[in-house]
Amino acid sequence: MAGVFVYSDKSVIALELISCVKAAGREAMVIAFSQEAAGELKNSGADKVYLLQGESQLPENYALAVANFLKDQSAELFLVGATARGRDLAARVAGYLDCGMVSDASAIAFGDGKVTTERMIYGGAITQKEVLAGFCVVTFAAGKFTPIEGASEIETVNVTADNRVALVEQAPIIRKGADLGVADRVVCVGLGVENEQDMQMIRDLAAALNAELGCTRGIAEEKHWLPTEQYIGISGAVIKPQLCLSIGISGQVQHTIGIRDSKVIVAINNNEKAPIFKTSDFGIVGDLYEIVPLLTEALKK
Amino acid sequence: MAKIVACYKWVLDEADIKINSDSSVDMSKAKGKISDYDRNAIEAAVKLAEVTKDKPVGLTFGSSKAKQSLKDALSRGLEEAFWVKAEEAETADGAVTARALAAGVKAMGDVSLVICAEGASDTYARQTAPRIGALLDLPVVTSIAQISIEGNTVTAVRKLDDCMETVRFDMPAVIAVLPEAFQPTIPGLKAVMAAGKKPVTEYNPGDLGVDLAARRQVAEVKAYAQERRNEIIEGEDAATKVAGLVASLKKEGVL
Repeated sequence: MAGVFVYSDKSVIALELISCVKAAGREAMVIAFSQEAAGELKNSGADKVYLLQGESQLPENYALAVANFLKDQSAELFLVGATARGRDLAARVAGYLDCGMVSDASAIAFGDGKVTTERMIYGGAITQKEVLAGFCVVTFAAGKFTPIEGASEIETVNVTADNRVALVEQAPIIRKGADLGVADRVVCVGLGVENEQDMQMIRDLAAALNAELGCTRGIAEEKHWLPTEQYIGISGAVIKPQLCLSIGISGQVQHTIGIRDSKVIVAINNNEKAPIFKTSDFGIVGDLYEIVPLLTEALKK
Repeated sequence: MAKIVACYKWVLDEADIKINSDSSVDMSKAKGKISDYDRNAIEAAVKLAEVTKDKPVGLTFGSSKAKQSLKDALSRGLEEAFWVKAEEAETADGAVTARALAAGVKAMGDVSLVICAEGASDTYARQTAPRIGALLDLPVVTSIAQISIEGNTVTAVRKLDDCMETVRFDMPAVIAVLPEAFQPTIPGLKAVMAAGKKPVTEYNPGDLGVDLAARRQVAEVKAYAQERRNEIIEGEDAATKVAGLVASLKKEGVL
């Protein structure tokens, strides 16, 4: 048993994954590509920090180097934080080693030479349990484990980067609206709203409720009534407010995966058969054009 | 003429999934469709081929059911379709899918760009583009929100978790585009008619030397359990319903 190798481009996630592996009683080695990242991991409780040093700033450019390194180390598992970079690097390593991989696992269990994982498919409507034997790659979401502490030795390994993709520039994403992910209350609007000017009615409700405004993909990408950052769902924002008020949304799974961590979900829809009511705590079957102004007035009181 | 290849998957429509009372899943009534985001990938191939003067083609790995997808894909502006056909596609994992698609790319000859969506609407595993790139040992760029091509050089803007990153690379390469990069257009009647006359090449994975053995076993598939109250607020008119809702939310402590 040669242990589990952990990587994330976000050190906070790497710390969590090390904790996950150690809690299962396995040896955890962690990979870093810069002195800075290795420094952030030196008190992570990992059995070793491997600083893979090469000539690229892009972690993805080390995919082949990591694949070869893991093979040399006889790794049993490559556990990677499920970020955009992490998924890319992880899947390329899986490709180079032609091994099994589970993306965005929500649970992982270590067995004898086997790893059992759970993940969601069909936009979150269904969970799938998978068993992988032999070396495999798993990407795992953040937020499930609390980091541990413990000094770790840093070992530097020189590697060759694949420099066919060159970095031109990086610019931080400046969010124009509020960060929906941390909002306490969210009003979420879908294609039940007929005209762009009717969005004002929804904005008034959000203001009365002191809530942020979110929407479905259709509102952002088909109608362009709200910025892309404001759509909620599988490829958009995921929210976890105390209250999510869903208006004129049918409730396709691609959307509801983004709202289901809400404490209380309320749905307003004129179709009593809309799937949104099945994922809601409270529902009103009715015309949103009638309900929304009444609700805004009631909330102002 | 080099090809720009859009990879796509024929998936079951998640809207048709039935969940049984014991949390088991019934897909028997589900109809097929081209995975939503793959339509963006097809559009990307068509639009980029106009720039590079390459030929936009489609490539799918699918069972006999994927036959229905060919005309749909070709009506979206692709000039030719390639189909790696195997019943095993229905139970394939990321490893098998990437092997089949990479073999298809190799078999069709001169390819400048392989385009995938970030993920398929059924599994959304986001493995295909990076895996194909690794198998063909080509440069890979994922999460692309904007792209431009000049000569043989591609400049792409990636949308990552907290930054926009511009990168440059030469073709041939494998890329994954975000849905916002290219909006699919709805094919007109003429395009649909013409699609039936476009060439389709069928590949047998055995001839291409593709190993169809999955690297993972599916142990269980069940509905995601969501515990919600599902309480419909009744009332004789809208005002009564609204008052009832406000009272309930106050009781829950969320107002």
